[in-house]
Amino acid sequence: SKMSVPRKPGGKALDLLRNLPRISLANLRPNPGAKKLEKRRGRGAHGGSKSGRGHKGERQRGNRPRLGFEGGQTPFYLLIPKYGYNEGHSRRPQYQPLSLNRLQYLIDLGRVDPREPIDLTQLVNARGVTVQPLKKDYGIQLVEEGADIFSAKVNIEVQMASELAIAAIEKNGGIITTSFYDPRSLTVLCRPVPFFMTGQPIPKRMLPGEDLVPYYTDATNRGYLADPAQIQQARLELARKYGYVLPDITKDELYQMLTMRKDPRQIFFGLAPGWVVNMAEKKILKPTDERLLSYYSS
Amino acid sequence: VSHDLVKMAASVLCRRTASLWGVFRSISSQNTLTPEFTRCGSFLQVAAYNPKPLKLNLKDPYIPDRDSEKTPEWQKSEKYDRKLFARYGSASGVDAAKLWPSPEKLKEIIAEEQEWNPSLQEMLNNIASREKERARILQAREKLIAANMAKMPQMVADWRRDVRTLKQKQREDKARRDRLLAEARERFGYALDPRSPKFQEMVKEIEKEEKKKKKLLKRRRKEEDARATEVSGTSEPA
Repeated sequence: SKMSVPRKPGGKALDLLRNLPRISLANLRPNPGAKKLEKRRGRGAHGGSKSGRGHKGERQRGNRPRLGFEGGQTPFYLLIPKYGYNEGHSRRPQYQPLSLNRLQYLIDLGRVDPREPIDLTQLVNARGVTVQPLKKDYGIQLVEEGADIFSAKVNIEVQMASELAIAAIEKNGGIITTSFYDPRSLTVLCRPVPFFMTGQPIPKRMLPGEDLVPYYTDATNRGYLADPAQIQQARLELARKYGYVLPDITKDELYQMLTMRKDPRQIFFGLAPGWVVNMAEKKILKPTDERLLSYYSS
Repeated sequence: VSHDLVKMAASVLCRRTASLWGVFRSISSQNTLTPEFTRCGSFLQVAAYNPKPLKLNLKDPYIPDRDSEKTPEWQKSEKYDRKLFARYGSASGVDAAKLWPSPEKLKEIIAEEQEWNPSLQEMLNNIASREKERARILQAREKLIAANMAKMPQMVADWRRDVRTLKQKQREDKARRDRLLAEARERFGYALDPRSPKFQEMVKEIEKEEKKKKKLLKRRRKEEDARATEVSGTSEPA
């Protein structure tokens, strides 16, 4: 008989590795059993029936009316206007949440570059948030989920932020600003290119309404209308409250980027209101008329 | 092969830190590599934003003829001109000065802004005055409450006294009624209804007697007083 040769451990696998083609999108497929076929309604024995949706109407067609609507009769929330919690429910500004968890995820995947100031343009381009100014969205709020794992140094601008979220950003040596955008400016900020393709000058950012002025002039919210000296004071206080040492960013290599702030009337970093951005010629046109200049600078 | 694979993965993972590859190459062990990477780069793989290509038809631009009747009206508007300029740049033949509002339009815009958008200082003043007014109302209310609370002990004492006297009076009335009823029973030999005329008459009689008695008592007392004064008057000159 043949003499048995001691087999190399993993020899077959190594051979396979040598001979098989490299892994590419063309030969990747999901693991067996990882995908489940979608159930197709209205096939087989009960094909002509109702597909489990009942008989006629909004139930079958899946076009249920909005919450609180009672088929046209005066709904309860209007009939008994005693309860204040429905007051102006259809006009309330909405702020889509962005958690620190998700922000970290976006940064880790390289979808958001932390070496540049992060504002709504960056986040919308990274498909990190969805902002719909026409649906009463006034921007995003930074929520504190993932505050314990957040570890990026960023200069971020949001519309609202919770205290712990502010602390988590500042603990890592980052800067956070809350700032207001009126719906028009918000549309421009979220979708710059379609706006540039209209050929209009960049509008002036409007001030918040009287109800929001206290929020944005408050240093504890890091409001963009607050006094910078007070903001520094508030940063120190927050550090004391949460028990961390505020990192000194003055000697940071990213100091220039971290201290970048927009003017209260400015929408984009580096672009002043009144300028026209021409995508076709890759040019920026600036007004020279005194009246225009005074209007856009006021 | 495995070394190659690691190298490839690393180059894919860490395009930005590719310059540092030489440093890591000296470390042959694979185990030490992974922590090194996570430590060195907070951003390993920076996937840039890939914008949708702008489909600008710069070679064959469509520029509508302003004087032609066939051109639809909406293609002759200022808005459309701006769009044309944005799409084709100066090749569109649109005067760049038209991109901004005309002086008349600007005046309108400024007037509207002044009417509807108050300045920050104005808003702050409004807020301050409203806050002041609110504080004033609150303070007035607190003052009123404090003043009323100061009066409270006296008022409670008064109320307690009133209750006490009322109860006392009720008790006395009840005792008198019982006494009258007992007397009526004594007089007539049976229990009388306090609403009956007989009883009422009896009560009136008794009241009259009491009045008489009182009068008598008064007179007697007066007499006694007079006597006493007489006695003192006679005794004085002596």
